[in-house]
Amino acid sequence: MDGMTIFFMILILGFYIGGFIYFANKAALSEKKKKKS
Amino acid sequence: MMGNKGNDVTFTSRFGFICAAIGMAVGTGNIWRFPRVAAANGGASFIIALTVAVFVWAVPLLIAEMVIARKTRLGTVGAIRDFAGRQFTWIGAWLGFAGLAIMFYYSVVMGWTLKYFVLALQGVFNGEVDTQAIWSTFTTTPSQTILFHFISMAIGAFIIYKGVTGGIEKASKIMVPTLFVLLVITAIRGLTLPGAAEGIRYLFNPDLSYLLSGKTWLEAFTQAAWSTGAGWALLMTYAVYTKKEEDLGVNCFLVGFGDVVAALFAAMAILPTVFALAPTKEYAYDALAAGNTGLTFIYLPALFKIMPGGYIISVIFFLAMAFAALSSLLSMIEVGVLNLQNAGWGRGKATLFVCGVGFLLGVPSAYSLEFLNNQDWVWGVALLISGLLVSIVVMKYGVEKVRNEEINHPWSDMYIGKWWSVCIRLFPVMFAIVFGWWVWQSIGWYPDSWWNPLETYSPGTMVVQWVIAVIIFLGLNNWLADWIRKGSGGTVQYPISSEDIKEGK
Repeated sequence: MDGMTIFFMILILGFYIGGFIYFANKAALSEKKKKKS
Repeated sequence: MMGNKGNDVTFTSRFGFICAAIGMAVGTGNIWRFPRVAAANGGASFIIALTVAVFVWAVPLLIAEMVIARKTRLGTVGAIRDFAGRQFTWIGAWLGFAGLAIMFYYSVVMGWTLKYFVLALQGVFNGEVDTQAIWSTFTTTPSQTILFHFISMAIGAFIIYKGVTGGIEKASKIMVPTLFVLLVITAIRGLTLPGAAEGIRYLFNPDLSYLLSGKTWLEAFTQAAWSTGAGWALLMTYAVYTKKEEDLGVNCFLVGFGDVVAALFAAMAILPTVFALAPTKEYAYDALAAGNTGLTFIYLPALFKIMPGGYIISVIFFLAMAFAALSSLLSMIEVGVLNLQNAGWGRGKATLFVCGVGFLLGVPSAYSLEFLNNQDWVWGVALLISGLLVSIVVMKYGVEKVRNEEINHPWSDMYIGKWWSVCIRLFPVMFAIVFGWWVWQSIGWYPDSWWNPLETYSPGTMVVQWVIAVIIFLGLNNWLADWIRKGSGGTVQYPISSEDIKEGK
């Protein structure tokens, strides 16, 4: 595999998996906060 | 009565709602359409275009759907009546019917995945078999396709009857995380095959010249519309069951990201498998060009046969397909059930009616692949119109008013900026381009008979079926508006006066 393919693979997977984790974490923290208050 | 009665029902947890919403979005299209379309349209370039489409088409529409649901707390018919005004009740009926029309044949599709899951369990794909013959024999044996269509609808009916918390939420909390695990396992197997790199190159190779092609963008917007379920009123239905202080933005972004992540995992399972195991490169291209069903039910089983560990992977793959189909089917059934509950029906009776009628109207699709393809074409494209109608309804209410008063609350987890308003206002333009492209394409398929309603994929068949539906719903508009109780669904009983309804408040 050439370098560009690997770069785009990491970029795309990182963006989507990272984005999913970011928003899931945001939702989880918000729920935790709501439960505490 | 084991199920919920429609009023005062909410998902017990946000996790449950998000699982149900992602389950709604992730369907067979993520597994059998995305890898093919991405590979044929420039790999990484297609994914870049898809990313734009998800953020300017899908997420704004999903947010709009949640707004309408939470403002009205009713199924599609009552929701549009109360949100847009009594004279627009027919739009709610269109939104609901378009989802149900897909449910009729989607249950047949789920039946195929169940049948292949059973065949995989029996180890059929490990022996010397002709997978083309298996598929042809199965789809031309109505007793089999109808039996599995019935089983699918029965499973869906059972879960829906158990209610929102005991049925949809419970099932989604098990199925959706399991689906992701199953897709990851199949992706790992695919990626570890010798020669898998060719498939990965095909998926992520950045041939940026594709970004200059209009077709890449049109395919990307179509994929975003059909895959995320934006504008289909499915999330509108589920959102009726969210708590009052539920966030909109983060939840909708999670649906968008989750949907593409599932599609990427599926592509990383399928493309490396196809390229690693295909005897020749031409065979791999033939597999990807064989359409959704050809790739899934003919070529992949043939490749599982020669794959080390193929038995377990084929079982896992078709189980994942069945879970993806079921989690989407549930949301389609719920669209009908919630509308009937709003009209005063009990959940049990509503479920029996929707699934019973759904089974009967799905039988022609189980009997004839051509009929199923026609319905998939007509109502698949109709969903683009549903998206347009949702955007128009929001514009009628006031885009900025919706953003300021209905989306951005003190309890919101994220602020939705003006980009959302711009996307909603631009939606009719985006719709005209994508819809026009599909109509133009279909005229090209039938240059001499594009007007003929008896052609499977003609513009004529679409227009005739849509016009019949619209005439019926327009004729029934007032009756439908009276049929649904005022503010009868969901968690909050809004005291809506007839004046409010008239003004669309």
